[in-house]
Amino acid sequence: MDPKEDLAFDALSDRVRRRILSVLGEEGELPVNALAERVGTVGRTTVSSHLRLLRTSGIVRERREGRNRYYSLDTEGAVREAFTYLQSILRQAVDEIDDSPPAPAAVDPDRERGTG
Amino acid sequence: MHTTVAAERTVALAPPEVFALFGTAGSEGWLFGARCDAVAAGAIVSMRLPLDERGGTGGVDVLGRITRVAPAAAVEIEHTQPWRGRLSLRFAPAGSRGTRVQVRASVPPEGVEWLLHRRGVPLPEPPDDGAVRLGAITTASGPGAVYSMSAELMARLAVDEINDDGGVAGRRVQLLTADDATDAEQAALEAERMARLGCRAVFVNATSASFDAVRRVLEGRGVLVVHTVINEGGGDSPTAVRFGERPSAQLDALVAPAMRRADARRWFFVGQSYVWSHGAHAAAYRAVAHAGGQVAGEELAPLGTTDFGDTIERIAHSGADLVLSTLVGADEVAFERQSEAAGLRRSTRTVSLTLEESTLAHIGPRAGTGLQTALGYFQDNPLPGNDGLLARYREAYGSWAPPVTALSETVYEAIHRYARVLHVDPDGTTAAHGVALAARRPTRRDDTIGARDLVAPRLYVAEAGPGGLEIVDAVAGGR
Repeated sequence: MDPKEDLAFDALSDRVRRRILSVLGEEGELPVNALAERVGTVGRTTVSSHLRLLRTSGIVRERREGRNRYYSLDTEGAVREAFTYLQSILRQAVDEIDDSPPAPAAVDPDRERGTG
Repeated sequence: MHTTVAAERTVALAPPEVFALFGTAGSEGWLFGARCDAVAAGAIVSMRLPLDERGGTGGVDVLGRITRVAPAAAVEIEHTQPWRGRLSLRFAPAGSRGTRVQVRASVPPEGVEWLLHRRGVPLPEPPDDGAVRLGAITTASGPGAVYSMSAELMARLAVDEINDDGGVAGRRVQLLTADDATDAEQAALEAERMARLGCRAVFVNATSASFDAVRRVLEGRGVLVVHTVINEGGGDSPTAVRFGERPSAQLDALVAPAMRRADARRWFFVGQSYVWSHGAHAAAYRAVAHAGGQVAGEELAPLGTTDFGDTIERIAHSGADLVLSTLVGADEVAFERQSEAAGLRRSTRTVSLTLEESTLAHIGPRAGTGLQTALGYFQDNPLPGNDGLLARYREAYGSWAPPVTALSETVYEAIHRYARVLHVDPDGTTAAHGVALAARRPTRRDDTIGARDLVAPRLYVAEAGPGGLEIVDAVAGGR
């Protein structure tokens, strides 16, 4: 997949996820079939795989009842995820401080960036 | 309640050395690529959060000011975009030649909400408490974030003042806000939500593209749409009102005087490839022809352009001695900074239609000096009532709050005016409210804050100097 297609795919995926979250925001809790119907445009399998991703990152909660699975927004989980993200970018920022000693001219330029 | 998130690391550099690595104008610092012209209290700082942008292109700007600096020991930053929060950096000696660097971010609930919403989580729906609901769509992210720094604050100030005054027809007013991310589609989505939640009016303090999208999506929904920033006109109706400066009036105030002053007549137009610049440039062709000038070239760049190298080269080769910029926000900042760096100031003078205090502050005094604009409001213009307004604003948001601008002052006045319309006629139709809101009242010759003519504002011509925008002329309003 060339980078452009990749980007388009990401954007599309993002739209489906947004749509799932927006439907769950309006409806509260829904079984996967009803959710897929409301999301439209993509099939149930696609919706399921997005739900798996959203569940792993803690934004969506899953409840099983008999053979059915119901999904709802996990606001607390989403807040936790937001703080985890903020924490990780602050971590990244301090890790970027370059405190490696200035490299002598003869050294391989790839090493000049240091380990940070 | 604010939540604090922190990270720290010990580095093998002395505190003054680590401190010196914090961003400068020439190079980006380690903290989210921090850029600032000086590491000093009051300096504008911009950083880029590595956040997945909707649509896939990377990063969201954090825009604010340095509020405190203790050399080699601490830097404090207050930021307004994409949410209002604080960042603090501490540098403490560790061992013989090391430094413990600590970064703390203080995040308010609105910041968490913004982040969740950006991820696609719907905003919480406030329970109906009988208040009159108004919506304000401003721009907290994307290229428009630069000029929208004080918009939400000023909308909120107006609503707080209305409530302190007893509300509207005995009811409290509640303001719902949203970030359009400089994206018309997002603006429409936010407007939908506001309509669903029962907003009587939605104030769009964002691009003309966003206004158009909101106007379309709310057509026939019984919601008044009010555009409160300088715009090219058109698209207004009884239920869609447009306030603010118009390019034709701005150009009348700027074009001929600029040609006289520079003894020059060849123009180059630089703008964005959407409806705002299309309209503004059409007016500019007329104004330049009327003043006996020529247009040597025109360039339209998509919103979000960061590299104007080719454009600047084309201007330099066109033989133009005057430049009209209708670029907005971060694009205007990038263009002016790059123009100055490329030496374009030696051969051209520039007038810019959207150069308010916030955009100029990000351009910085070096690249900003000499730029001219014409707007209806400047923070330093001593109009009657302005001192009081600024005092209330600083009282509410602190001394480091971003400047009040023509854009944010217009949304403030528009909300007050709408509240008066609603107070007098609480059961009127949306169209009746729109007509009453847009009606021009006979105003005094002199401008007064709270009673400015928002339909055809009196314009003030200002030039950027080392101390900011200085007013050089006042002209009658027009459209």
